[in-house]
Amino acid sequence: MQTFNPLPDKPAPAQTVGITGWLKNNLFSSPLNSLATIVVAAILIKVLPAMIDWLFISANWSGATQDDCTKDGACWVFVSAWSQQFFYGSYPDEEIWRVNLCLAMLVAIITASLRVKKELREKVFIPLFLLLPFISIAILDGSYLGLVQVDTDYWGGFSLNVLLAAASIIVAFPLGFLWALGRRSHMPLARTISIGFIEFFRGVPVLALFFMGSVMLPLFFPEGTNVDKLLRVWIVLVFFMSGYMAEVYRGGFNAIPAGQYEAADSLGLSYWQKTLLIILPQVIKISMPNILATFVMLFKNTTFLLIIGIFEMLSTTQTALSNSHWLGGHAEEGYLFVALVFWVCCFSMSMMASAIERKLNTDHKN
Amino acid sequence: MTTQTNNTPSDDVIIIQNLNKWYGNFHVLKDINLTVRKGEKIVVCGPSGSGKSTMIRCINRLEEFQQGSLVVDGIEMIEDVKNIEAIRRDVGMVFQHFNLFPHLSILENLCLGPIWVQKKPKAEAEAIAMKYLERVKIPEQASKFPGQLSGGQQQRVAIARSLCMNPNIMLFDEPTSALDPEMIKEVLDVMIELAEEGMTMICVTHEMGFAKKVADRVIFMDAGEIVEENTPHEFFDNPQVDRTQKFLQQILNH
Repeated sequence: MQTFNPLPDKPAPAQTVGITGWLKNNLFSSPLNSLATIVVAAILIKVLPAMIDWLFISANWSGATQDDCTKDGACWVFVSAWSQQFFYGSYPDEEIWRVNLCLAMLVAIITASLRVKKELREKVFIPLFLLLPFISIAILDGSYLGLVQVDTDYWGGFSLNVLLAAASIIVAFPLGFLWALGRRSHMPLARTISIGFIEFFRGVPVLALFFMGSVMLPLFFPEGTNVDKLLRVWIVLVFFMSGYMAEVYRGGFNAIPAGQYEAADSLGLSYWQKTLLIILPQVIKISMPNILATFVMLFKNTTFLLIIGIFEMLSTTQTALSNSHWLGGHAEEGYLFVALVFWVCCFSMSMMASAIERKLNTDHKN
Repeated sequence: MTTQTNNTPSDDVIIIQNLNKWYGNFHVLKDINLTVRKGEKIVVCGPSGSGKSTMIRCINRLEEFQQGSLVVDGIEMIEDVKNIEAIRRDVGMVFQHFNLFPHLSILENLCLGPIWVQKKPKAEAEAIAMKYLERVKIPEQASKFPGQLSGGQQQRVAIARSLCMNPNIMLFDEPTSALDPEMIKEVLDVMIELAEEGMTMICVTHEMGFAKKVADRVIFMDAGEIVEENTPHEFFDNPQVDRTQKFLQQILNH
């Protein structure tokens, strides 16, 4: 009988791999593509030297006041002089550790939960994560813990953008899931309310929602009660976000094969067991890229809060720009810095998103 | 046709009487009457769209029906969550596309029912799961995820998952139709073993070798009706209805 011997592997043609292969595939794959590459390269050669010169070579790096900015380039002294305000707003110097603690807890819980075993993650880290907004509020405010009370008027800067966005998404995460379940419900009342809620918060511009939160919402509270402005903004962000999350989840729900529901049913699992044990984990996994994208959007939207007088990073920057000691026109440096900080954060989040996706990607087929 | 039996009720584990089902205006099941005794193995065949899957899916209420009655293990199928859940605990089901839970390991797939439905402690549930994984001959795959297994292995896991609930009745909905030919035998072997142990089984399948080997009765359905019902020997060698003859010619002579 003949024996079957598989052929040995041969190396791929040199033109298709390595640097030449990459250049050919990515920069010069077609005449139009080659032309675009040349045009972009020409623009870069024209623009880059001046930009690098302004940004780095002729830039002023050290000093404490505007007078130290003697060279033509960017005045980075402005950024370093105001950096504490940019990051912490007017939070008292000696209490800044509290803000750092909250930020550290947020980062620690997220990174740890990606590394620990599933059991520990489900039993400890996820509940901790869901409680984090409330723990953070207690720490930042301080009065519940016997610390010096810091009024929300003093909270601000970039840390407020981060914590407010995180606190909103953490609450919106489960709330959005409930709206999505409601939307799929067979009960007409639950479905109508859910659809109404979702479509209202998705259909109204976020700026309008912020104005409603700061101007209109107090009208609905009983006279005499004074609900904190930041708290109102938080509520608006949570509602806004949960409407979006519900739609993100909806896409996830639609992607789950009917067979998953049937298998869960045939085992005799109850509705909530089926929803929480079988459907929810798969919906979250499928929706993860969109959840992260929605979060990045929300995070950037927190800069809109400057319009209603919350001292987040962008409005802190504007305050600094109008300070009488710094009237030399540092808008470029200030806004560039804000952009850079947001970009670094959003970029890290997309890196984190792909890490989570790889982590969750346990089924290769099916 | 056995519409009404004289056996003691405890002997009849499934009693379907005059069952009718519609999808909107489309009449998918027409006056289905079927009684299954304890330990009986029934093979259901028929062309696609004949209602055979729909019929067995009515037995554990994956499909609703509009008319008729259905009693499973003495529990009447009515619009009551308690009854439905009680029947589902008693009836295992294996699907064409396995429907394992992709986010859970094989062991977790198997333990889910015992832990959450039967409220067994985790250690006991895992012992049961390992017992059945050994029975379907893949205990070494316990910590893997469904996506890492071949189709045949996944289907055996699916059978084990149902068995972990200790069901009295097993429903098989075309269990080998989505498998590569090389893997059909390993699944059928498990099913034959199960049959030999006396499990009550209803299998929708076109594996005629399996039908000849294990079935007590073969049921042929077309256009939502039970056309013919007979012992495998009579069914294959001496079909009574022309429609059955035509179907058998089509599936056997190719």
